[in-house]
Amino acid sequence: MRAGTINRILIVVLIGVCVLWLVIPFAMAILWSIVDPSQAWSYPDLFPARVSFQRWVDVWQNTALKDALVNSYTLAPSVAITTLLLATPTAYAIGRFEFPGKTAVQVLSLLPLVVPGFVIAVFMASLLLNLGLYNRFASIMLGHCVLFLPYAIRILSVSFGLVRQDLIDAARDLGASPWARFHAVYWPALKPGVLAALIIVFIQSIEEFALAFILGSPDFTTVPTILYSFLGFNFVRSNAAVVSLILVVPNVALMLVLERLLKSANPAMVSGKG
Amino acid sequence: MRLRRAGLILLLLLPGLGLILVLIGSVIVMAFGQSVGYFALTGESGFSWEHWREQLDGRLLWRSFQYSAYIATTSSILSVLLAYPIAMWLRRPFRGSLFAGALLKAPLLVPGLVAAFLFINVISFHGFFNELMVWLGIIDRPIRMQNDRNGYGVIFLQVWKNMPFALLLLTGSVQAISDDVLNAARDMGAGSIARFRKVILPLTVPAMQAALVIIFIGAAGDFSFQAVAGPTQVNSMAQLMVRLKGEFGGYHEAGVVAVLLMALALFGSVALAGLTRFAVRAGMKV
Repeated sequence: MRAGTINRILIVVLIGVCVLWLVIPFAMAILWSIVDPSQAWSYPDLFPARVSFQRWVDVWQNTALKDALVNSYTLAPSVAITTLLLATPTAYAIGRFEFPGKTAVQVLSLLPLVVPGFVIAVFMASLLLNLGLYNRFASIMLGHCVLFLPYAIRILSVSFGLVRQDLIDAARDLGASPWARFHAVYWPALKPGVLAALIIVFIQSIEEFALAFILGSPDFTTVPTILYSFLGFNFVRSNAAVVSLILVVPNVALMLVLERLLKSANPAMVSGKG
Repeated sequence: MRLRRAGLILLLLLPGLGLILVLIGSVIVMAFGQSVGYFALTGESGFSWEHWREQLDGRLLWRSFQYSAYIATTSSILSVLLAYPIAMWLRRPFRGSLFAGALLKAPLLVPGLVAAFLFINVISFHGFFNELMVWLGIIDRPIRMQNDRNGYGVIFLQVWKNMPFALLLLTGSVQAISDDVLNAARDMGAGSIARFRKVILPLTVPAMQAALVIIFIGAAGDFSFQAVAGPTQVNSMAQLMVRLKGEFGGYHEAGVVAVLLMALALFGSVALAGLTRFAVRAGMKV
């Protein structure tokens, strides 16, 4: 059999598998979110007998979803911007300087990724209790910043590494002010990385569960913690479906933007040489 | 001058790396300290092995430890095993390969809790899977699959979520092998299995180890999948830690679990990576 034919068969198989593992689960979530409360969707009905957006209205009006959305969408941009500001100097040092112990610095900056999330959450809670700090928003924000610093440092240090020294020198020789040098040489190389870091930290913060659950309990809810409450003791399938979709859809859209940004961050384009 | 430069670099590292080291360091010190009786929130603080003795004597901790080790090992190995053939398939671009890659990586975009919810929806008593099997006549009545005793549901979820990640690492590594190397092996008479075992596997060991380590650590510390889809008669380590801390306010007991969980993540993943290297080397010699 020719390679082309094998590839075509494999793609058909793959699409079949993806229908099973992506399309059907999401289709079921969508269906569950629009089951009309007046008529239950139960065995042996293949589809809900009546559909409406009543569940969406109910969840919006009767649960803490509104607060959770406000909390999540205030937290995430604050975390994204703060993380970016904290990561920039470290990324600059890694991207622009050679110094002994640089590899160690790079490895150590990955530390938050290798310590299990719930260990960080539980003992950060204990640490804050010991220190007498009780502000939930600030605690989660600090935790998220540290948790996602590795991503921002990694992305930005690559960007800083792409800034070309000859262009910096040329700009300086031509008498460009520090601001002009930043604008003409640094920013074009940094821009995709900065945006990518902002988006990736934003998405991670929206989706993060361990810290939000432990540090936020009992009354500070975010979208994942409210979803967990619908999946736990008081399992409400339709509510969980609504919240799942609210959590997934904006993030998928943002990820698609991110993919484009990361593609555009190639060295040839940034340095102006093809 | 050199001193000034060193000072500048140190200053630059402070807000990023410094913050990471201070916070994560304090968290680790806290976990260790509380496990041996320090930093008590109520009552007396002081060195004691009591919490360790108490936890190590109980069966709960060992069952959780074994369970988390089992889930982490199985999930990481299965994810990598599944990702290899797909990475090989996508090694060279063909019509539709970008589309295939995007489809395969889609689960990376789905948060863990949502994935768990989608999964239990499909396998629940009157979920899609049961109804399909009944309709096809494979079974007479729906069977109970949710929260299965062996944790197969959790392993499935781990693989669903992590295989794309392994694929991402392996595809990059497999694509970096030049055709010249593979053609040379072919010219010297190596069949496709020998080429895989003696050329591709050894050259992709670092990527495979990275995938195994990261998936192992994530799965060992899992809470969400276990809480939603896992067996109800056993806790994962993270779940046990949260339970001890939450139900009884037992930070000291939770500290013991945390230290063991970190040890499991560290030594388990390093052992797995070491064994992989050993196995690949042995495979080359055969």
